[in-house]
Amino acid sequence: MKKNLCKALLLLNVLPCIPVMSGCKKQAPVVNPDVAFGAYDMEPDWNDATKQVKLGYRESQGRRVFYIYCVWCHADATPAGPSNRSNLTPIAPLMNDGEKLNGESDEYLQNIITLGGSALGKSEMMPPYGKTLSAEEIKDVIAFTRAIAQPAYQKPGRPGPPYGTK
Amino acid sequence: MPAEDMGKLSDKLRMTFAVSTVVCVLVLAISPLKDFLAEWKHYKRTYVKFAQGRTDTKRLLADYSPSIEQVWLPAMNVTDRCTTCHQGITQTSLADAAVPQPFRAHPPVPHNVRDWGCSICHRGQGPATELSEAHETTLAWEQPILPAHFLQSSCGSCHRDDLKETPQLMRGRELLSRLNCQGCHKLNYVEKPKLGPDLSSVGYKVTREWIYKWLKEPRTVLDKDGNTTVNGYESGEESRMPKFRLTEEELKALSAFLSMQKAKPVTPYKINPAVVAAWSKQQPDLSSQGEVLFRQMMCTTCHPLAVTRAGETKLIGGNIGPELTKVGSKVNEQWLIAWLREPQDYLAHADMPRYGWTDEDLYKVSQYVLNRLADSDLLTNVPQLGNATEEEIKTGKRLFLDKGCTSCHSISGIPPQKDFGPDLTALGKKNASELEFGKSKINRNLVSYIQAKLQDPVSVNPAARMPQYTWNQADLDAVTTALLSQTGDASTSALQHLLVEKKEATFRLVGAFAQVFQRYKCFACHRFNGYGGTLAPDLSYEGSRAQKKWIADFLKNPQTIRPTLILRMPQFNMTGKETSILAEYLSLAVQKPGVDPESVDARQLTSTMAAKGRELYEVKYQCQSCHTIGATGGYVGPNLNNAGNWLTPAWVDAWLRNPQALQPDSIEPRRNFTDEEVHELTAYLMTLRVGIKPQGTKSPANGKPSSQGAGR
Repeated sequence: MKKNLCKALLLLNVLPCIPVMSGCKKQAPVVNPDVAFGAYDMEPDWNDATKQVKLGYRESQGRRVFYIYCVWCHADATPAGPSNRSNLTPIAPLMNDGEKLNGESDEYLQNIITLGGSALGKSEMMPPYGKTLSAEEIKDVIAFTRAIAQPAYQKPGRPGPPYGTK
Repeated sequence: MPAEDMGKLSDKLRMTFAVSTVVCVLVLAISPLKDFLAEWKHYKRTYVKFAQGRTDTKRLLADYSPSIEQVWLPAMNVTDRCTTCHQGITQTSLADAAVPQPFRAHPPVPHNVRDWGCSICHRGQGPATELSEAHETTLAWEQPILPAHFLQSSCGSCHRDDLKETPQLMRGRELLSRLNCQGCHKLNYVEKPKLGPDLSSVGYKVTREWIYKWLKEPRTVLDKDGNTTVNGYESGEESRMPKFRLTEEELKALSAFLSMQKAKPVTPYKINPAVVAAWSKQQPDLSSQGEVLFRQMMCTTCHPLAVTRAGETKLIGGNIGPELTKVGSKVNEQWLIAWLREPQDYLAHADMPRYGWTDEDLYKVSQYVLNRLADSDLLTNVPQLGNATEEEIKTGKRLFLDKGCTSCHSISGIPPQKDFGPDLTALGKKNASELEFGKSKINRNLVSYIQAKLQDPVSVNPAARMPQYTWNQADLDAVTTALLSQTGDASTSALQHLLVEKKEATFRLVGAFAQVFQRYKCFACHRFNGYGGTLAPDLSYEGSRAQKKWIADFLKNPQTIRPTLILRMPQFNMTGKETSILAEYLSLAVQKPGVDPESVDARQLTSTMAAKGRELYEVKYQCQSCHTIGATGGYVGPNLNNAGNWLTPAWVDAWLRNPQALQPDSIEPRRNFTDEEVHELTAYLMTLRVGIKPQGTKSPANGKPSSQGAGR
């Protein structure tokens, strides 16, 4: 009689454990979110076509704007063929020229694209794009410039490499 | 049982009971412990630590809550708990790439997280609270997150119109249309395709041997380095005729059937041999003279051709007509001459215009095409096929239907088959379990499946009827993006009310203008109010832009002095009557609303103003960085040497004030000119005239990001 009662009590103790235990399983491996998302887009390194630079959303929007508006004077090859760079005095910097552009702040680049060269005491040959491009688009172009810069761009005062050079 | 034993046993029982109670309590403790150790709670705690290590702690933690957070938008079927871990998603100060995930801010996009949630664009499992379930495919949660490279497909689920921010999606849709995928498959929001050529009379055009060769090895293939080659030359072009996996018997049967298609005989056009002999007597090498004509007429504006420059052979030319490098070994002389004279006689839907040939030019160009654009080795590996047998023709006809040839090519008397391939309008939302992977070793997800199927249909399904296309990586990704955007019928979607529909283009052709317009196939290259090709400038407002006389002169002798342009308008040899009909109609009927031709009185533009305008042009604004006047200046914008004869003063005035108001995709930046400056610059530009034949190009190259960009 009593033995049966014991058995029943034991069972009563053990039963609730079953649903609790059943929830236990092996923890799924943690993936690196950057790997899961991948790169939004790629741009070949201008100096070495075998290398690809990873672009995020911002940089790739910047690339789109660059290849419509800027490429004609700020690259050596254009979608139409030859570049207009050599027709300019002074010659415009290449958009990946890190030595020239890495030292300039984002604010300065934003200003020169928005207001044009002459507003900042530079060449009038750089026209103002503030009424043609949105402020966001101009920031996108700057982000693209930073991503393709050679030597690589380091954000001042912040640790870690930028997304593009990883 | 003795009494003392009862006590002993009772102790043992008590002990057992005590132990089991402890075990039970411990087991019950697992649940709260598991809850405490939940992955999302770990990210919650890490975020607090991360925020405390920064100077803007207060702002970062202003909305902090230790529980699960979610964006719930019942109207769009969105329940997204992603912000539980991605806590800094709206914090602009966390935009830097150095911020560790999952705390980084979202880049600025037109749709914010609060109003749209996450899974509408990124897919994945919104309600999941574990990283692996939210991002990847598990048994219970099938929809993985979309790799960022294909994200533009989500834009395409709602935006059916062209969206400039999504070049990859737009290219993919263009390819789905150009490759005529709709011939076999049902697809949404893809432009109506141009079909492959009608084959009713193909027997008069090519030999059975050529058909055999073409079916066995279409001209576009991947070379061993993975580059797309056309006729052996590297090219960025997509292939239009895919490769079918045909056996020797099938090749023989199909070539037999097709070579017997002779519905409408070619009307022979004889050029008197005596006259030809007279031309040869003057200058013996007719083919070389034909080559000069071929170049002058700018046939390469539509037809690519292998050109060797500086030791490097490349295909150069437009993508409207077929590549012609070896066409001389394909067609016969009688067919070619008839085709050049009256293309629509052979192929009613041909885009090739009817040129106003003289017999001499016609003959010389045909000789060039037949003799120089030929390859005597083209058919070396083709067996001698001889005459087609009855049996072969019968089998060929059956194959023509079985292989789905009718989806692209019509033959009179053979009705097209409907719904030959599967419906793909909902492909983009399929779960991995609904796909057939066969014996392939690819990853079990939709993106890998689509790419494998596109590259080699047999790899996932040995019985696939789909032929083999040739892709470069960028095009493969673009088509994948466009296919992923096919997420089902709008009427059943919770997002129905959000759909951005494509605007239909309207352009009506009337009267004599319509006849000339159709004869020269203006739509093949030019766009009018959203309808037509994109190779040449958009002419929607040509009547407001250009002077009537200039249009007529230009049509007689189209010229460009833009040195960077490889393509320009072909020489059509229009008659004076035709040019005046076109000029008359364009200048009257194709106007930009709001540009009043009378708004600027040319007589009030004085020479003093022009002198001031010149100074503005050369010194203050340095327009020469992009425009050429005389022999100096840049070549981003059009050459302005003949602006005074070319442009209307009203257009120049309006253009200087706001170029994008007249042409939204113009790359000329809008400036802050004063009224006075606008008048002075207009006065200067209107003094620029060239006495001789008109020169000048239309709009500046509306630079689309091209696969031949800088650094590529």
